[in-house]
This record gives sequence, structure tokens and C-alpha cells, in this order.
Amino acid sequence: MKDFLCVLPAVIFFALFVYYPILKLFQISFTNWNLISDTYKYVGLKNFKWLFQGSGFASLINSLTITFRYTFWEIVITIAGGLLLAALFNRESKVFSALRSIVFMPRYIAISASAIVFMWILNDQYGILNYVLGVIGLKPIMFNTEENALTAVLILTCWRVIGYGMMIYLSAMKGISPEYYEAAKLDGANSFQRFRFITLPLLSPTTLFLFVTTFIASMKVFQSIDVMTSGGPYGATEVIVYWIYELAFVDFRVDRAAAVTLVFFVILMGFTAATMKFTERNIYYES
Amino acid sequence: MLTFFQYLFAIVFTLIIVFPFYWMIITSLKTSEELLRPVPTLWPLKFQWNNYVDVFKMAPLGQYILNTIIMTIGVMTLQIIIGSFAAYGFSKGKFPGRDILFIVVLGALMVPIQVTFVPIYVMIAKLKWINTFAGLIVPNAVSAYTIFMLRQTFKSVDDAFIEAAQLEGLGRIDIIFRILIPLCKPTMLTVTIITFIDSWNAYFWPKIATTTPLRRTIALGVYELKRSYAGLETMNQNQIMAGAVITIVPIIILFILLQKYILTGFSKVASK
Repeated sequence: MKDFLCVLPAVIFFALFVYYPILKLFQISFTNWNLISDTYKYVGLKNFKWLFQGSGFASLINSLTITFRYTFWEIVITIAGGLLLAALFNRESKVFSALRSIVFMPRYIAISASAIVFMWILNDQYGILNYVLGVIGLKPIMFNTEENALTAVLILTCWRVIGYGMMIYLSAMKGISPEYYEAAKLDGANSFQRFRFITLPLLSPTTLFLFVTTFIASMKVFQSIDVMTSGGPYGATEVIVYWIYELAFVDFRVDRAAAVTLVFFVILMGFTAATMKFTERNIYYES
Repeated sequence: MLTFFQYLFAIVFTLIIVFPFYWMIITSLKTSEELLRPVPTLWPLKFQWNNYVDVFKMAPLGQYILNTIIMTIGVMTLQIIIGSFAAYGFSKGKFPGRDILFIVVLGALMVPIQVTFVPIYVMIAKLKWINTFAGLIVPNAVSAYTIFMLRQTFKSVDDAFIEAAQLEGLGRIDIIFRILIPLCKPTMLTVTIITFIDSWNAYFWPKIATTTPLRRTIALGVYELKRSYAGLETMNQNQIMAGAVITIVPIIILFILLQKYILTGFSKVASK
């Protein structure tokens, strides 16, 4: 029984800070609670009506569209970029090991500090990127516009995550037995064919892992948006977590924030359930 | 020939990744006049080290750093101690309902703070914990990820060690701190370093749990620093960059010294 006491603090913690807040979200979403006032009434489905049939619907569609667009590109960058870099950096030498570390490092740097320097690099007037574009005869890019603001955030994301994708693929590639390659060489496969028909299929569990983890991580994007664009201009980068944050702490509409959070939570859970089903059926794990 | 191109592309790509770091440092040393030149300079004409002094006058960066250190130590200590006990219980302990409770813990992995922050804010506010260390630390005191990682390594330790220790009359606390943790040093180090980095860079929760500079952390403070130059950001980029450099230097040093442990932890996650 003393063994049970060992896990008790952790279990109590998760009950208080994970499971209870989820129940609390349901409760808050059925009220008209405003953060400024101490009292509230139960109003039934009013917040969900606002969200799905009222003026909240356009904002919901807008923020989901932007969040999915951001997520799509972060996944593409992590998987395609990571795989390309893994092929490029896959060489055993001191120099390459040092280069790999450098490419991997941005993941551990505070996003806020990184965002600040990227905003300066991408500055429309004094940024070095636009200067270089000017030198080679291209038009400057204004990143503070509705069309380009999300691209600016994605440039920072690319810098942060591409080395992560590379490292994950490289450590998976190390696990592939060299015998496969030797056998393929004997059969006359060139290096592209070996990559296409041996490396790629054997990396499919890794690709799934990256897909799932990147999806969940990028759906939660907040910090780079907060620092670089504050959701703007005109809501062009208002991702779902940023919208929830604004509802709760700028508009003080905690009730609406709770309703939107529940939608967000259902999406995350649905995705997790779907990938679990898919994994059971389709992914081939070596041994 | 192929080797040459591989080196060439790899080095060029690495330089692109390094450039923002370089630009941050170089900009932090320029004068305001130099920042606004139509042709950006790749090397400061005149090194203005004073930017690193002046930035401390614009924002209480020293306080932010102290807050971050205290929060990081608190979070790390609690996560490792509570996590080690839980990992012991879930790997070597025997009690009814163990596996169900472990699923409860794993379930927490799927619920990020971005889902629970509004209700947790309400709880913290009721306790009058806004702008306090308790408010910053307690909601991060236990990590399902830490428990999961530690349980995996504790499981790999032979039961014979533990049975022998029990015969010697050692209690659970001794078994955890004198046998399991020393035997699992690499994983302990990895988990500690990752916790340190995450906590140093923490942004989302400190943003919710602080409303004044009093307990603000450095990753959050560097953004607030930028806002404190409202309207004059462009000509003060040098000081803002100095703040950013101060924020990231501890992590860069840590990464360079301890990347071996970061990478091992990392391949474990990847091969899961």
C-alpha cells in the first residue's frame, strides 16, 4: 500500500490540474461568466449558439482555417525539410556532427527572443532580407500585410523545426540495418533507388511519429503569433489558442473562451483517436 | 566531387541557420544611427557595448532573470522528486489499480496547458497566486512526460537490486535516491536538462499567471521589453537585441556543454 502513496502526489496533481479543469470548462461554458464580475448565471447552450450560429461562427471558421494552414506548413517543413536535410547531413565526420548540432539548436532557443530577431531581419524598411532582395533586383516583401503575416511566422517556424525533423530522421536512419543496402547494391540499385525503396519505407513509422507530434504541437501555436503579429493584421494570424486567449483575457468573456476551448479539445482528441486507429492498421514496424 | 557538394551545401545551410544568431549579436552592438542606414552593415562600425547597460534601465531584466532562475529551480526540483516517486510506484510498486492510474497519468500527456489554462487561471486567481512564485511553479510541478521517461528507465533496472536492498532493510526513499536514480543517471540528466530548458523558455503560462513585471520571466520579459519602446522600437533595436542575447546565452552555453544528453533523450523519444 505504501507503493500507492508514491504515486499519490502525482495522481492528485493530475486530478487537480488536468481532469478537474476539463470538467470546469464544461461548467463555465454553460454560464454567462465575465471575468470582471463575481457572479454568473447558467445560460444553457447560449455560448455554443453564439459559436455555431451567431457572430462567433465567422471567427471560429477564420481561426480554424488559419490554424490548419499553419499546421499544414509546419508539418510539410518538418517532414519534407527534415528528410531532405537528413539525406544531406548523413555523413560520419567531426565537421558534420558539429554542423548537425548547430542546425538542431534553434529548437531550444526561446521563441520570443528568436521572433524578435526575425522581425528585424524581415523589417520592411530596414530589414536585411529586403535589402538583399533589392540588390538582386527583386521587389521588397512587406510582411506586415494580411497576405504575408503568416508567412513571416512560418519563416521563423522553419528555422526552429527543420533541424528537429532532420535529427529525428537521422536517428531513425541509423537504426536501418546496412545489410539491406548491401543486398540492394548487389542487385544493382543506385543510390536514389536505395533511398526510395529501402530508406523511405523503413522510415514510415518515423514519418507518422513526426506527423502526429507536429500536428499537436502546431495546433497549439501561440508564442510566435503573440510576439510577431498579435493575431493581426485584421485577424489574419488569429490562430485558435490566440483567439481563446483574447476572448478570456482581453474581452474577459471566459464563458465564450471555455466553449471555444472545448471545440479545440475535441479536435485534438479526435485527431489522437484517429491516428491510434490508423497506426494499429497500417504501419509496419520492423521487428 | 559528390563529397565536395555535400560539404558545400551543408555548410551553406548551416550558415543560413546561424545567421539570425549572428544578426542578433551584431545588431545588439550597433549604434542607433547605424541601425537606420539604408545599407545594413555586416559588422558594427563602432561597438556600442553600452546597449547592454542601457537595456537594464528600460526593463527590470535582472528581476526577470532572478524570477526565471527561482521558477526553474522550483519546477525542476518538484518535477524530479514527485516524478521519481511516481515512476517508482508505476514501475516497481505493487498495488491494486496501478495500471489504471498509470493510464490516468498518460492521459494527461494529451491535454496541453493551452486547453486547461482558463480554468487553471481561475483557480490560481482564487488562491491569490497571480504574480507569485507559487502561481508560476505549482501548475508545472508534475510532468507526465517526466514520469513516463523515468518509469521506462526504472523498469529496465533488475528487480534483484531492489530485492537485495529490501533485504538490507532499505526503505523506498533510499531505494529511489540511492539505487534507482544513480543507476539511471543518463536519463535523469536528460530529463533534468530538458526540464531546465523548457522552464527557462517558458512563455505561455507565465504570460497568464503574471500581470506586472514583479514575477515576469525572461522569455516573456524580452517581448515586454520590446513593447516598452512603443513607437521607438526601430531606433532601439540594438537594446532590444541586447535583451534577446541575454535571454538566449544561458541556453546556448548549456546546449553546447550538454548536447550529448539532450541528443540521447531525444533518440529515445524518436525510437519509441
